[in-house]
Formats: sequence, C-alpha cells, structure tokens
Amino acid sequence: MASTAAGGTAPSTPAKQQGDPENSRRGSLPSGHELLERALALREGSIIVVTLVTALYFGLNTGSFFSTGNFKTLLPYFAPFAIMGAGVVFVMILGEIDLSIGATYLFAPFLYYKLAHAGFPLVPSVIVALLACMVVGFINGFFTAVVGISSFVATLGMLFTLEGLTLIISHGQPVATPGAEVTSTTVKVPHVVNGVHIELTETVNHVSTFAKVFGAGTYSELIWAIVIVIVLQILLTFTRWGLYTVAVGSNKLGAAEAGVAVKLVMIRNFMMCSVLGGFVGILEAVRASSVQPDTAGANEILFEAISAAVIGGTLMAGGSGTVVGAFIGALFLGILHDGLILKGVNADYLLFYLGLAIILAMTINVYVQRARRGISRG
Amino acid sequence: MADQAPLPAEKVVGPVSAPDDVLRVEHIAKRFGPVTALRDLNLHLRKGEVLGLLGDNGSGKSTLMKIICGFQKQDSGNMFLHGEPYEPKSVDDARTKGIDTVYQDLALIDELSVYHNLALRRESVHRPIPLLANREMKRRAREALDEIGINIPRIDVAVARLSGGQRQAIAVARTVNSNADILLLDEPLAAMGAKEGAMILDLVARLKAEGRVSIIMILHNYVHVLEACDRVSMIQDGVIALDKPTGETSVEELTEIVVNEYRRARIEAHLPASGA
Repeated sequence: MASTAAGGTAPSTPAKQQGDPENSRRGSLPSGHELLERALALREGSIIVVTLVTALYFGLNTGSFFSTGNFKTLLPYFAPFAIMGAGVVFVMILGEIDLSIGATYLFAPFLYYKLAHAGFPLVPSVIVALLACMVVGFINGFFTAVVGISSFVATLGMLFTLEGLTLIISHGQPVATPGAEVTSTTVKVPHVVNGVHIELTETVNHVSTFAKVFGAGTYSELIWAIVIVIVLQILLTFTRWGLYTVAVGSNKLGAAEAGVAVKLVMIRNFMMCSVLGGFVGILEAVRASSVQPDTAGANEILFEAISAAVIGGTLMAGGSGTVVGAFIGALFLGILHDGLILKGVNADYLLFYLGLAIILAMTINVYVQRARRGISRG
Repeated sequence: MADQAPLPAEKVVGPVSAPDDVLRVEHIAKRFGPVTALRDLNLHLRKGEVLGLLGDNGSGKSTLMKIICGFQKQDSGNMFLHGEPYEPKSVDDARTKGIDTVYQDLALIDELSVYHNLALRRESVHRPIPLLANREMKRRAREALDEIGINIPRIDVAVARLSGGQRQAIAVARTVNSNADILLLDEPLAAMGAKEGAMILDLVARLKAEGRVSIIMILHNYVHVLEACDRVSMIQDGVIALDKPTGETSVEELTEIVVNEYRRARIEAHLPASGA
C-alpha cells in the first residue's frame, strides 16, 4: 500500500513522470535497457535492489537468515529507524537537517519516567512527554525559519542542550521504565511422565498491555513503523502539507511568492520530526524496560536515522525524498546489522561496512538522479 | 553629437488619480538597508487599463510589484483598492482581495508537476478527508492552458523539464486563471521566443477587450509597451519620471528619457558633489 503511494499508480508520482519522457515511441516495446532505466528512475528503485541483493546474500551465506526467529531479531535493528527516518525525511525535503533527534530520543523517556514516577498515569505521561518533544521541534523550527540560523547549527545547539538537560534530570543514572516491569509468576503445568500425572512449576514472564503496545510486544515497533510510514507517505504525496513541503524544499522564495506559509511549513515539519524521535525513545525504553542516559548512544541513533533517510533516496539538498524510501533504507541498515552479526563479523567491521554502504548508496543515488533529470537532455 | 543639456523629465510628484481607479499608490517609499528602492512613488491604475511600467534595472519596478502583491511591506505611504485603504498582510491576503502576480522569477517549483504548480495555493481537495484531488487539478490545468492557447504536451511532468518559454507560460496561466481583477505581470515575456511572446501579448489584448481585469505589466521592449499598453509609467530614482497615455508618447521619447538619465548619471559620476 505504502509503496503504491510512493511510486505506483498515483498521478503525481515519479514512476509515471519518469516513464519515457519523450513519449514518442508509444507503440514499440521498451527494451531491457529502458526497463532498467525506468526501474532506477523510481526514487526507491536503487535501494530496493540493493536491499534485496543484501538479503539474498545473507540468506545464502548464513543458515538462519530467513527464519522467523531471525526476523524477530531483525526488528529492533530497523523499526525504530524507520519511524525516525520518516520524520527526518520531512525535514530533509525542506533542505534542512535535525541533529537533535538523538537527544530528543534520549530526553523523552526520562521525562516520561519523571512524570510517571510523580504519579501521573502512564498514557498521559507519554502524551505530555511527546508534547514536550513538540516544543523542542518548535524551537528548532523557530530558530531555523524565523530567526534564520542554519538548521545544522540550531539543532546542534539543541542536541547539546537537550542531552545536558537529560543528564541533569536523570543525575546520570539509569532508570527502570515505568509500566515496563516484567513480572514473573510461577505456574504449575501438568505433565504426563510414564503414565503418571505430575505437575512441574514453570516461570512465566508478563508485561502489561501498556508495555506490549508501546514497544515491548514483539511486533509492536514494527506495527507502529508500518502505520506511521503509511500515514506519513500519504501525508507527503496526497496532501497540501506534503505539497508545500516539497515546494519549500525545492524553491523557498518561489513558494513564498506563490503564497505558501514557508515558516509554518518548516516549523511543523521540525515539530513532527522531534515528536517521532521522542516517541521512538519511549518505545525503545519500554522494550528494554530500562533506559540509560547514554548520550553517545543517542547520537549514534541520530546518525542511523539520517542514514536511513539518505540511503532511502532523500536528498540533502532538499526537494526530493520519500518516507517509504527511508523505511527501506532502515530495513537495509537492519539487514546489514543483523546479517553481519549472523556471519560472526565483529562490531568494528560492522561500522566499517555500514560506512561503505552509505557511500555506495549515495553514489548510486547521484547517478539515479542524473538519470531522472537528464535522460531527455538530448 | 548634440551638445544638449539633459532635459528634466516631467516627474509625478503628488498623488494622481482618475475617477475610475481600481488601485492607487501614494507616497510609497521602501529602503533595503542603505539602498533606497522607492523614494516617493505615486501611481494609479484605472479599471480595464493595461499600464506599462518601465525603468532601468534596479529602479524599483519589481519592489513596487512586490509591495502591491503583499510580498513585501512599504516603509511609508498608502495604497487604496477600489477607494478603500489597502494593506495586504500576505500574498494570500492580496489574492483574496483580487490581486495576483506573475513574478520575475516565476515562483515555479521545479520538483512539482505542471498541474501542481498551476494549482499551488489553490489546490482542489476531496471532502471530508482533505486529500489532493489530482484529477480535478489536472482538468483545471488543462483548461487554463487551453484558454491562454499555450501548448504544453504533458501536464504531469515536473516543470524542471520544460523550456523557459513554457515555464513562463505556466506562470502566466496560473495568474490569469486566478479570478483576480488586478494582474501584476513582472516581465511576462522575459524568457520567451517571439512566437510565445506574441501569444502572451494576444492574451493581454484579449483580457483587455473583455474589460474585466486591470493589468500592470513590467516590460523592457518599448515596441511591446506601445503595442500592448494603454498608458506608460516610467520609474527613475524611485519616483515616477513619466506618466503618459501610450498614444501621446513614442519609442523616441521613451528612449530619450533613458538616454538623458544615463547622461546625467555619467555627469554626476564625473563631477562628484560640485555643489552650485
């Protein structure tokens, strides 16, 4: 569904726009080369191919890559970045960047902890923490769109401020995530051994429904990711919000002259990006049932989320990108992580390969963009 | 070489008006830091009229257009629309009051399709969920382009792929099709070949014949001005230096004013601040 929204039948989509631009040879069948060109001209075309090849490689070279168990292992490597990547895409299409999402990711669960610890009910605590993230995004957007600081600098300042604030309110100590406590009960399970009925005690772990919904359920993060990606891809492709986002990113002055409220468009995208960062922070805190005030780890999260968007075809220069692309970019990163671990590669090599993969993907993107724009140059 | 002293042009120093004015601009001034774009500008536009606005590069023509269309705000001075005080808060606000603009830079979004550009800020959406009604916008785009008689083979391609003239035509179509009753056209022929330019001038003539809209048009080619406009105003040094019906002026007169301006500028440059 989401990929249809991105590039299939929708009238405004790149697929249709790019299909044989000169349109003069309608009768003849497209050659193999043309088909390849068209597939590559799809914004997500290159990364889909790269992701499939990567998955196939690990499938053939490791015993357990295509197993249900491994799929479950894979999920936390990509679902959080798919969600954060969706927000990053909306900021990057504007031609801006949000370096503070890692800090927001770290800050939100600690604020949630403070609120829940003070006696607030769980769900309202989540909501208030996300509203605080919205304020963070507003400040990012305000300093970028209204004051006129570059978003790189404004959100860099926010990164340090927010990470500092997190250290202050957490006193540098890890906390157990409220609502994510694992309770164990002992149950007696009947067994039949050699015709004799006996009861053996077994330990069963429970988490609350709240925890299952907000990250601790096996598929919780995946479901959130899919829902958020579908909704935001529709927002990007089929609403004014998305149209104005592309307009501002492609030609800020022209959009303003045409009457688009440029500052509003920018601020609300920054707000959405921060909320998603904070939301993922809470999901991960609930999933892990505790949260560390680890600023270095938070910044790694930031770079992975941006990598997902960039690998998924979003241009740093703005004007172009898709949420589905970021989802696939996150999936690619997840498969790479998971597959390399399955193959027994150590963590040092992991980052090394990740770096190479990002450079490779960006190189492919540059050529794809040339193909998209320049085929008709004649 | 005639050793002729530069003639002082007949400047419009006070507010001007006619009984059937749709727009009046009085004592408008605008500075950008140390640069004075408009000093004390007075201008009026009559109903159904096509006013040609001339002036050297940097004389303030585009600034005036941007003030009238609500994109920038004047430092001082007043505007009146249909006799009422007119203070546009934004481009949207000006548009709801019936003023729409073709900008010099066209204000097109390269990444968006032709029909999305034509519909920008006037999008059709479905109800109750406000998703974009792309089919409806395509139909409207087709109509708008047919109406101005410009052939754009495909309206679902990104405007980045179109020629300069086609882009210009799309910007003009967007504005003409907006139901505005005052159109501001900032160099609508800039990127066009002779054939496309003639189409736009025909369109202006057709709009004039219909009598529904009034137009202020910035042009550089005096022949075009005399052909398409009812009246011509020339901006020099941030004020109107000439304001005449096109029937009472000529290419020669317009050229002479500009030549004199250059001559004066040169004299001033060579004899700095010599006093009396």
